[in-house]
Amino acid sequence: MNPNPVNMRNRYSLFLFGMLASLIACHQAIAEDRIGANPHSVFQQQRVTGRVTDESGSPFPGVNIVVKGTSSGTVTSADGTYSIDVPSSSSTLVFSFVGYSMQELSVDGRTAIDVSLQPDVTSLSEIVVTALGIEKSSKSLGYATTKVDGKELAVNRTPNMMNALQGKIAGVNISSMATGPGGTSKVRIRGQSSMSGQNNPLIVVNGVPIDNTNFGTNQGNLGSDNSIASRGAGASTDGGDGLTSFNPDDIESMTVLKGATAAALYGSRAKDGVIMITTKSKGSTTGIGISYNLNYTTERVLDFTDYQYVYGQGEYGGGPAAPGAAPNPTSGQWSFGRKIEPGMSQVLFNNVVVPYVAQKGILNKFYRTGQNLTNSVAISSGGEKGGMNFSVSNLESKGITPNNEFTRNTINMGFSYDLSQKLSFRGNVNYSNEYNKNPPVVADQDNSIPTSLFAMANTMPLEVLDANKYNPGGGEYLYSRFTNRTNPYWVLEEVKQNIRRDRLFGNFSLKYDLTDWLSIQGRAGQDYWSRDADYINLPTGKASISSGSIFSATPGYYNGLFTQESRRFRETNYDFLVTAAKTFDDIGVNVNIGGNQMRRRMDVHSTQVTDFTVLGLYTVQNGRAKDPLYDLIERGVNSLYAMTEVNYKEMFYLNGTFRQDWFSTLSKNARTIFYPSVSASYVFSESFSARPDWLSFGTFRAAYAKVGSDSDVSPYSNQLYYGVNGQQFLGQAVGNFGLAVPNANLRPMSVQETELGIELKMFHERVNLDVAVYRKLTTDQIVSATISDASGFTTTQINSGKSKNEGIELMLNIIPVSSDQFKWDFTFTGAYNKTKVLSLLTDTPGSNITVGQHVFNGFVQQIVGEEMGQIVGYGYRRDDGSVNPAHKGMIVYAPSGLPIRTTNLISFGSALPKWTGGFMNSFTYKGINASFLIDFKLGGKVLSGTNFNAYRHGLHKATLVGREGGTLDGSGNDPGRVVGVGVTEESAVNTYAARAQDFYSVVRGSQIVEPIIYNAGYWKLRQISVGYDFTKFIPESVPVKGLRLSFVANNVLMLKKWVPNIDPESFSYSSDNIVGLESPSVPTTRSIGFNLNVKF
Amino acid sequence: MKKIISHIALTFTLLVTFSCDNGFDELNSSKTAATSLNPALILNNAIIGSSPNAGQLNYELAIVQQLISPNTGVLEGANFNKNNSSSSIANWRDYYRNVIRYTNDVIVQTADDPARSNLMNKARIIQAHAFMVISDTYGSIPYDDAGKGYTGQNFFPDYESQEVVYHDIIAELTSASAALDESLPSENDVLYNGNIAKWKKFGYSLLLRAGMRLSKVEPGLAQSTVATAFAGGVILANDDNAVIRHDANYVNNVGNVLNGTEAANFYLAAPFVDALKANDDPRLAAIAVRYVGANSGPAQVAAVATFDPNAQYGLPMGSTDGDADNYGAALPGGGTRYAFTQLDRNRMAKRTSPLFLVTASQTNLLLAEARFRNWIGAGTVDGYFAEGIRRHMDQMALFDPASAVNAADRDQYVASRMAVLAGNELEQINYEYWIASFLNGQEAWANFRRSGYPVLVANPFPGRDVDWITRLTYPPTEILVNGANVQAAIAEQGPDELDTKVWWDQ
Repeated sequence: MNPNPVNMRNRYSLFLFGMLASLIACHQAIAEDRIGANPHSVFQQQRVTGRVTDESGSPFPGVNIVVKGTSSGTVTSADGTYSIDVPSSSSTLVFSFVGYSMQELSVDGRTAIDVSLQPDVTSLSEIVVTALGIEKSSKSLGYATTKVDGKELAVNRTPNMMNALQGKIAGVNISSMATGPGGTSKVRIRGQSSMSGQNNPLIVVNGVPIDNTNFGTNQGNLGSDNSIASRGAGASTDGGDGLTSFNPDDIESMTVLKGATAAALYGSRAKDGVIMITTKSKGSTTGIGISYNLNYTTERVLDFTDYQYVYGQGEYGGGPAAPGAAPNPTSGQWSFGRKIEPGMSQVLFNNVVVPYVAQKGILNKFYRTGQNLTNSVAISSGGEKGGMNFSVSNLESKGITPNNEFTRNTINMGFSYDLSQKLSFRGNVNYSNEYNKNPPVVADQDNSIPTSLFAMANTMPLEVLDANKYNPGGGEYLYSRFTNRTNPYWVLEEVKQNIRRDRLFGNFSLKYDLTDWLSIQGRAGQDYWSRDADYINLPTGKASISSGSIFSATPGYYNGLFTQESRRFRETNYDFLVTAAKTFDDIGVNVNIGGNQMRRRMDVHSTQVTDFTVLGLYTVQNGRAKDPLYDLIERGVNSLYAMTEVNYKEMFYLNGTFRQDWFSTLSKNARTIFYPSVSASYVFSESFSARPDWLSFGTFRAAYAKVGSDSDVSPYSNQLYYGVNGQQFLGQAVGNFGLAVPNANLRPMSVQETELGIELKMFHERVNLDVAVYRKLTTDQIVSATISDASGFTTTQINSGKSKNEGIELMLNIIPVSSDQFKWDFTFTGAYNKTKVLSLLTDTPGSNITVGQHVFNGFVQQIVGEEMGQIVGYGYRRDDGSVNPAHKGMIVYAPSGLPIRTTNLISFGSALPKWTGGFMNSFTYKGINASFLIDFKLGGKVLSGTNFNAYRHGLHKATLVGREGGTLDGSGNDPGRVVGVGVTEESAVNTYAARAQDFYSVVRGSQIVEPIIYNAGYWKLRQISVGYDFTKFIPESVPVKGLRLSFVANNVLMLKKWVPNIDPESFSYSSDNIVGLESPSVPTTRSIGFNLNVKF
Repeated sequence: MKKIISHIALTFTLLVTFSCDNGFDELNSSKTAATSLNPALILNNAIIGSSPNAGQLNYELAIVQQLISPNTGVLEGANFNKNNSSSSIANWRDYYRNVIRYTNDVIVQTADDPARSNLMNKARIIQAHAFMVISDTYGSIPYDDAGKGYTGQNFFPDYESQEVVYHDIIAELTSASAALDESLPSENDVLYNGNIAKWKKFGYSLLLRAGMRLSKVEPGLAQSTVATAFAGGVILANDDNAVIRHDANYVNNVGNVLNGTEAANFYLAAPFVDALKANDDPRLAAIAVRYVGANSGPAQVAAVATFDPNAQYGLPMGSTDGDADNYGAALPGGGTRYAFTQLDRNRMAKRTSPLFLVTASQTNLLLAEARFRNWIGAGTVDGYFAEGIRRHMDQMALFDPASAVNAADRDQYVASRMAVLAGNELEQINYEYWIASFLNGQEAWANFRRSGYPVLVANPFPGRDVDWITRLTYPPTEILVNGANVQAAIAEQGPDELDTKVWWDQ
């Protein structure tokens, strides 16, 4: 009881107004106010007891019982009984449970009331969390949403929790990056909307957005991109994203808002959809519950290499196997040597003689078994007035790269509490501490273990490589003339990186019910993290710097490059929301009005040093030449929005939303944009006077929305800024300015989306179908256009792009068998999406912009009239048939015997998959749950960098052609010669021969990428899990309420793929600007383990 | 209660009615960068950017057969007479981005400030040098509209023919050199520390170079330009050389590559080594090192190093790795390709060694030819010729003290060359120019094309794309983004191939 209710209320109202006042930074007078006195109620207490049963007559625990018109209530106990005090004998009790019809019963003086609850077919539509955290019945929505239960993430889990959802949500394309356990997850909803690199959905936790900054590897990304790259060469690692911080055990549920309509209330940042995460904030039953979860999985490398082992290490047919060959071969990365015959030997390093035999399976030899161990404990309580959930978790992940570890500790606290009948307080605070130790360098020439291993000469024994990583001078022992291809064992010893992040995010909200139909809510949220990273870009003595000497070019110093940096990030969101809901006979009206103020600030302090005084001491103090950098970026968005819903008999729903955004990054005259959305749903199954028996539930949906965004505009990009170089030259300052032409006339881009859908539940919910079709038109795209170098600059941002996404999403759920003993539940989710570029600088088909580049060659372009994400490069020049029609289309060879490339760059097709989806089968038999998921991505292309190297280095099986029966050259080597199948420039049948190594090196030398373009599609057996609930075996005397053990396996089996030597999923780039450009990544793994959940 | 509602309504009304972007201009102003900067500091960056880039390792130095790699792949280029766009774009990319972008800014910022005319004229000279390099490399280039992405909002500049470019470069250099005025304030710079007299000599020396460039195509203009330049005063002493110095932060692009990844992958070419050896040129000992018997990069250690000019063996043109390994086994002391003579990365090609744009040696040699052609009246062919050689011999010590050539060796060599000058003037002068322009590959290649000297044998590589490389191809990105303009230039100039000749080379 509150001794002084009036004063307390005054404080509440002041708090609410304080929040309002701080919103939007607009001026307003704050007036004091008081709330009218509360009517006193007269208590005439009476106790009611009873028992609740379900449709089969069994006791029904957990049923909510409230006294209508009050907040007092209770829940039924395990035997279905309850006891509640009611204020008067005329009170009404409301019995409710999700999925069952609510029952209202007047006490009428009774003291015992037994109730049987029946399943509710009309409430089959689930409650989903929509924008701003507003809960709605899915039938009232005119757009598609997908709800994911927290268990989907927690049982068969992945270190980045999003990856556990691959193939499970129609229209959501999730790619796990092959970059180690602390890596990012690339999530694309309904394809790629803008031509920029990051089309990440907005992550919203308990109604408030959080940061999802991506620290992925992004070399060759030429366009604008909100990802953050490491400084300096040699450190292209994946530092994770905003989702890395989550412990999946804390997640109550997740809703994916796919379309612009769903996201309209989040405005600019939601153009690529929203992932709404609701964390646990109260226990599921009254009293205190404790649960403990243990998850342990091991990971083994999946080796898809299918190399040739006929010819071994060496070049041009010669090599270390030659009698009297020089020791310390520098071929190392080339397999164009002699034919491997029994009894041959090779001389390696300093006269180490080893057999010249094929070294197969080196990936499994090099990489260790990875392990992921998660322990989490949660304490929760629930009661009439609210509850809380507190959890602590620890993840210890040992990556397969032997020095890579990822540790994550999280603390999560969520609570909700009704302070009075009208005032409720909710909040959640999440703290995470992450330590990513030595995330593997990927997709680079330097320091990259995968690049070296995947191209390693096929007779190079790893033991010898390991034993000879240091030369006598203490530097890296050169094993290949390709000095950037660092010895992988040396990398393990010398290339170090530490990334530590502390993160605190959460929000608090206060809601006050002014009347029974009007409420106001204020909310404040913050996401703050600090991130320290240090990395040895170039360790002292690396072979590519001064041939493995440890000495610097500057006498008296040791060579090397080291970077240390720290970042701080803060995003704050303040919002208010006024909600009015009232029903007038058959018409229900629901109005929300709100506003939001968002501010982000990130700074970075980084110092990069070279030349060390003390050997092996990597600190910024120890470096002689220092290059310091400080940068600060701020941006803000202010917004006002409103939403109205009108329904007729809860059968027709009409929704409208309006939002106005103001962006700080745009110039004053183009700073604001207004966008509306409208959607409708019709629960047609309710309109039949006699609903057919087979149809339980059916809804039509239709929606249209417009959303604007500045998200591709960097702050300060509207004018030219000058800087001063960190280092003076000859005692004088040196000035600079950027390579991007600023554009002060940028407008917000705009996305318009139309969506139609239908949802059906049929045959007593044995067949359930949800289909959505959409068309999304993105205009005024802010494109970072490559401009002519001759302009002095390289890019400028322009409002030019227009693209169209069209697609269909399907969810079909069938329950073929459902008996007491056995249940088979089958779900197919599938999506087709096609994104077409409609215009760039002009509408002329074929006009293009280049947005990304492969390490050596191959580009990603957006081309007018084509699908987005075209892979472009040189192909083989083909005969035009003008001389001999029969030769039309044949490859043309030069007198050198090498194929000639096309005059111009040509397009090989889009890298974006058109078909994504999965088949989930789950079985329940006598308490055993088993499920498996087959998923697929089809219809995209890949430019494979691994196969590029395999060609160039003679590992690819295709490079066997022509190696036999060449002509001995001066040294007695037989380089083998290839006569390409095709014609000459004069259209005669080609007879020119080229040495095999030259012939297959055209992928590099002539930049002909055609042979390394593949279909990127795949079918995979993604997940298997088998679980059993042991609860029934636990004696009553043991204080354990539940025990469940599941065996899980992830990435189990490749069923079908088209690209050789790699897993088509082994991408390490998270940016869309370099989509489809594969470079050697950490091999993908199969994980197997178990999950144990115990409830006390 | 009603008051609350009315306040909410009021708030909302205010939000809608009044500006909801308060403070956004301030928020969107960078706190870590300036909106204006002293253009003198920008000019410094343009000067640093003028230093010859490492692309010459793959093209210019290999075209003139001084330095080559036997490697395929990323190092392919003139070693095999093949097109490798990742290297051939270097002059385009680096000079437009790192010089023209900055000089344009300096010129625009100082155009209306007579007190800073010296600064502007320095920028015009640096800019003219960059345009000369770009045009010599590619022929027709964006010129009038170049560098104006920001100041002129011109993202896709159109092209001018090399004829137009050169006529304007000559006009620019003439006007800018003349306008430099010692009586006006001069700001410090990293080229000449603000010394206007030296800048004047640099400007006129570039003008002399531009004039001589046209000796084949427009002898009349060439002659008058040379005369103007000579009258204005050119660089005749090493003290006045236009040299880009380097330090640990602003490194020598060539030295950086040769002391890095590619340390063991570049070798002096046989034609260069053989020529110096044949003439007992003391500069060979200053330039070269050979690691006797080396069979790998790490085996190239001081213990097996020899600087003896007679023990130097250049790598034959067109050698692949395999060829080079075979040839290497036959060298005295054996070894593989790693046993061939290299440019000494510890002396002349350190990361901190200077690189020269215009030298007293080059200018003297050009004057020798101009005098021979009777385009200038003062001095003698012999005098300029001897002085040209001497100045380069002395210049060796400026790369590194350990590369110094002693005066006795120098004078003995000069005497031997003077003996064969008469009757072979053009050949001898331009042969010396070839050596004097070592590591200034852009100039060595241009003068080789113009003069036809020294006489070299075409690269014998069987898979070569062309016999001689007479220009480099336009960058693929330029063709992608500025297609219409570049195609118009190609239509006028000739196919975008390595053996199309630029205008002054017709």
